[in-house]
Amino acid sequence: MRGLFCALAGRVPGDRPAALAAHRRSCLRCQAATARDHAVRRGLEALVDELAPAPPGLKAQVLARLGRQDASDPRRDLVARAAARYAAAAGLAVATLVALAAGAARRHSRALG
Amino acid sequence: MTAGEVQRAEEELLARARSGDREAFGDLVGRYQDTVYTLALRLVGPDLAADVAQEALLRAWRALPRFRGEAAFATWLHRITVNTAWTLRKRARRHAAEPLEGDFEDRGLLPERAGELAEVRAGLSRAIAALTPGQRAVVVLRDVYGWSNAETARELGITEVTAKVRLHRARLRLRSLLEAMR
Repeated sequence: MRGLFCALAGRVPGDRPAALAAHRRSCLRCQAATARDHAVRRGLEALVDELAPAPPGLKAQVLARLGRQDASDPRRDLVARAAARYAAAAGLAVATLVALAAGAARRHSRALG
Repeated sequence: MTAGEVQRAEEELLARARSGDREAFGDLVGRYQDTVYTLALRLVGPDLAADVAQEALLRAWRALPRFRGEAAFATWLHRITVNTAWTLRKRARRHAAEPLEGDFEDRGLLPERAGELAEVRAGLSRAIAALTPGQRAVVVLRDVYGWSNAETARELGITEVTAKVRLHRARLRLRSLLEAMR
């Protein structure tokens, strides 16, 4: 959101903060857009203080369903997803190595034969 | 009651709940159910929010003995809620055979149903609701709750680069949605 908003957007180098700042000082359109962006950011930050009341029966339902405490990982799905990703990557790496080794062995046996 | 006394009372409740005191946990639920529900509402919309909040609080109860207080209890609960929201959202989508992310968000968060959040920010809330679930999660965690990119990526199970890209797109889309509403 810190970029440019007017027709000059492609002509002012984005990696030169001083050039961007200088442009913004002289461009009303960019100033207005920046102000709107700041307002959006402030609005988003302010949302953190707004609470929607939980449904009236939520607490009772939770307390009625309390089972045993087992110190299980409450984020186990996240852990499982990460493990599955690593397993898939490892499987792919192993398959690639096997294929490369098989190719090398085939070339070697052809050279011998 | 001073802030220090409130803090001490909460620590006492936590210690009791950690050792299996259901009444103490009930008090904690009473204190945090609105924040958990609000986060769930922002992440998955009104259809699933109550289920997510309930499941997150149950997971927190089960896991309480492993809570060591490295982070604030509210932060810990938020992490569990994000993870639960993601899991239940996927499960609900699978079971209801909803094929598209856009389809999911549009049905769950029609503007007239987003009124559970305060009216003052209704426009912003409607715009957030119109984002894709992935964009919404990132913008809510980063811009509303002030999480870092690394934390957001870790809790959503995505890379930091993906989180940054989603955030950028989400902010652009929010801007255009808000401009269209004016």
